[in-house]
Formats: sequence, structure tokens, C-alpha cells
Amino acid sequence: MKNAWFKAYLYLIPALTVILVFFLGGFVLAIIQSLGYFPLIGQNEFTFKYYTQVLTSREFLNSLSFTFYIAFVSTIISTVMGTFLAYYFLKLAVKESLVRFFYKLPIAIPHLVTALMLVFLLGQGGILSRLLIKLGLISGTASFPAFFYSKNALGIILIYIWKEIPFITFMVYLVMRNIHSRLGEAATTLNASSSQVFRYITLPLSMPSIISASAIVFAFSFGAFEVPYLLGATYPKTLSVWAYLNYISADWGARPLSMVINIIISLVCALLILVYYLASKKYLRRWG
Amino acid sequence: MKSVINSKKIMLIMITLLLFIPISVLLVWSFSRLWPSEALFPNKLGLRGWSYLLSPRSKVFSSLAVSLFISFVVTVLGLILSIPAGKALGQLNFPGKNIIEVLILAPIIIPTITIGMGIHIVFIKWGLADKILGVILVQLPLVLPYGVRIFASVFKALGEKWEEQAKTLKANVWQGFWYVVFPLIRPGIIGASILMFNVSFSQYFLTFLIGGGNVNTLPLLLFPFINGGDRVIASGIGLVFIIISLVFMFLLEKALGKGNDNSIGNFYYL
Repeated sequence: MKNAWFKAYLYLIPALTVILVFFLGGFVLAIIQSLGYFPLIGQNEFTFKYYTQVLTSREFLNSLSFTFYIAFVSTIISTVMGTFLAYYFLKLAVKESLVRFFYKLPIAIPHLVTALMLVFLLGQGGILSRLLIKLGLISGTASFPAFFYSKNALGIILIYIWKEIPFITFMVYLVMRNIHSRLGEAATTLNASSSQVFRYITLPLSMPSIISASAIVFAFSFGAFEVPYLLGATYPKTLSVWAYLNYISADWGARPLSMVINIIISLVCALLILVYYLASKKYLRRWG
Repeated sequence: MKSVINSKKIMLIMITLLLFIPISVLLVWSFSRLWPSEALFPNKLGLRGWSYLLSPRSKVFSSLAVSLFISFVVTVLGLILSIPAGKALGQLNFPGKNIIEVLILAPIIIPTITIGMGIHIVFIKWGLADKILGVILVQLPLVLPYGVRIFASVFKALGEKWEEQAKTLKANVWQGFWYVVFPLIRPGIIGASILMFNVSFSQYFLTFLIGGGNVNTLPLLLFPFINGGDRVIASGIGLVFIIISLVFMFLLEKALGKGNDNSIGNFYYL
């Protein structure tokens, strides 16, 4: 037994070392710096004052709600659409190779490229606005609704869901396929209608994977930086962009503030994953 | 029945359009020569974009080389680290297993901006900032969750019986791995390589922050174009990106045989 333990730890040490040093190390350093410990500028004491400073600023609430809005809306849309598509693919017996292709293409395309494509499509000089002008539906590019650099963040949300719907679809599709092959037939022989099968069997049983997929999606959209940095509104900014602007500020005193914002982002992500994890466990007990 | 088939067709066509319209817009832009600001289609097509992109001035090739090198090294190191870790988590029981599982998943949950900004100062101190080595090291933890999860499930499904067979046949540890375990986990290696390569290849923020402008990868080259600039060039770079990712996926699956093992299909990323 002891021997097996030793073997397991030996196998794990290399990977764990990398994660502990280069990942958790970064996280711990962010915490330390958020507490104001910063010998480089002569600060050797720990303090909570940067936390109070961030939490009491007006910008914080605006930024938090803006970030939350983007993450929440894109998660809800991708979860609903993804689950629906997964069920649809299964019900209509779409070829699995086709489903895999639909899923792989957006996965292989990075967020930055997706952003570029959607800017070309939906931006103010984009294809859609040109089409609407040609059709005479709008008078000029100026009357085309702003998808980017706007407070509604529609463009950012669309970029996220273009990547996230396929992700959720595929994750849920695999689980639903297993459920169907095992239980679907039994239910049909018991004369359940296909909507009953979906409501009472397929959906509840795939709930844990739907929940965990949407948790990953939420955590991603909540902490993402590039897209809101490039295409977000001037005000409010997402937490990630706000943290970065503090980080690169010429004033070294703003660095601890940036770390505080970073820690808040990470805590929200970690907390959400925990809540979802517990929720999925509850589901598993209830339905499993 | 007929209406079902029709709605299925409509659905599939719509999905295909949603996926391909954005890509075809890039394609048309990259080959356009003259495209007035209100015209729906370009007036003239041409190769200005591509001839610029293929010339050394555009830095496409040098960025591509740096990108490929970094992602290749990260993938190989990721495999070396996650195969034994996956074996331990998939086949062995030991105290602290839950905590270790959470630790290994952490890079999916905690955003990269937190890690990057937190660790930057130490990377400067250790002389890793502004170097390719630093970028590789900071990217490495990001790919491990994918690799470890894949190998954990592969080894779990495999069981330990194969290695015991090898031992009875008096194979040494290396022979046991090379002739017995390696062929059996090959689908896992393919799946993990595709995922890890793609995660690394798309990474922007950590490369930008830790590389400090000295390590110019393809995402860094593309970044400024999203806000504006020459659309012909931007589309070309975007397409190079898409092509490389697809080619890599295709090559690995073809060259190494069946990569579409169902157990591997269960792992994905954003």
C-alpha cells in the first residue's frame, strides 16, 4: 500500500511542481501583492487598505455588474442553445462525424480570430451594415446599431457565444447520447412520448454535465481579457481590463489595486465553480 | 416525416452558414483589392494582401515560426508531465487525491490574467521575462489539466493488467512502456496533443505580458488589427491562423491513426 502511495506521488511530482511553481505561485504572489507587500517601492507591511479602496470605489460596482452582465448573458444563451442543439442533433440522428465537425471548427479558431471575423461582419463598416444599406433598411452606417465599444456589449457576447455554443453542445451531446442509448428505448416501450422522455429522463440526467459545462463557460467569460480590452466600452470596463489598466499605470501605487481586482475575479470564478459543483452533486444524488 | 427531414435540413444549413459566413468574409477580404466602404462586394480582387503576407516584411513567417516552436515545446513537455500524472490519478489510490485533482484543474478555473500579473515580478527577477523560455514555462500549467484528465481516463480504462503481463514476460520498465503501454495509450496521446497544442497556440495574454514584446507570436501579430488597420492584411493573418489549427488537427489525426476514440472525445476546452 505504502509502496503504491510512493509510486503515485513520484508520478505526480513533475506535473505538480510545474503547477505549484508557475501557476499557484503566481496566484499566491498576486495575493501577497494585493495586501500591499511590495518591497520594490519600499512597502514591507501587509494591509487591507487596497481592498477597502477598491471595494468602496464607484467604479468597482459598475465594473463588477458589467462583467457579470457579459458573463451571465453569454452563459445563459450558450447553455440554452447548446442544450437544445445537442438534443436536436440526437433526435434527428445527425451523423456523428458531422456533429464533431461542427464542434471542432469553432474550437480550433481562437477568440482573437473570432473577434476579427465578427468585427468584419457586424462592425459599423461591416458586411451586415452594408447589406442593410443596400436593402434600404437603414440610411447610413451611422444608424447601424453599435455592437462594439458599446455599453450593451452585444459584440463581445456574440463573440463568446460563437465559441461557447459548440463547446456546450458537444459536451452535452456526448452525455445525452449515452443516456438515450441506455434509457430512451426503455421509456419509449413504456409509451412515453418523446417530449416526456426529454423532460423526465434526458434533461435531468444530463443536468450535471450541463451545469459543469456552463460553469466553465461562465468562469471563462468572467475572467477573459483580450476581447473586452479590444472591443469594450470606454466606460464601464470589465474587471479584467480595469485590473490591467491599473497594472500598466505609471503610478506604482496602482499595482496593489490591480492585484486586488485580480483576486476578486479569481474568487468569483472559484466560488462559482464550487456552487456549481455542489449543485451538480445534489442533482446526481437526486437523479442518480 | 417529410417536414422533420426538411427542418433537419434547414437546421444544418443554418448552422453551416453561421460557421462559414464569418470565415468566407475573411477569405473575400484577404483577396480583395478595391473594396469601397459602402459596397457589398469588392470591386476588384487581387493578391496584394497575400503577396505582402508572404514577404518577410509582414513578419508572418517569423511569428509563425516562434508560435509553432513554443506550442511544440509546450505540447511535448505537457505530454511528458501528464502521462505519469494521469497514470497515478487513473490507476492508483493515495491520500490527498482529491486535493491534487482540484489543483490540477485550477488552471481552467483561475483566469490567466491573475496568474500572469502575479508572477510577472518574479519572472523579471529570475531573468525569465522577455524570453521564449519564460513564455513556455508560464504556458505549461495551462495545458496540463487537459493532458492529465485525458491520460487519467485512458489509464483507468486500461487497467494495470497489461503492464503486469509485460513484467511476467521479463520486460524492463522501458520495454514495458515502449512496447506495451505506449501503443495502448496512443489515442490519448493524439487527443492530448491536439488540445494542448491548440490551447498554447491561441494564447495571447501570457505571451504578451511575460514575453514583453520580445516574443512575437501569431496572436500578437493579429491583435492590433482587430481594432482597425488594413483589413486585407488582417484577414490574411486570421486565415493563416485558421489554416494552421485545422492542418495540425488533420495531420495528427491522419498520421497517428484513429484519434476519434470516444473516451478522448469527452475532453474539450474553450
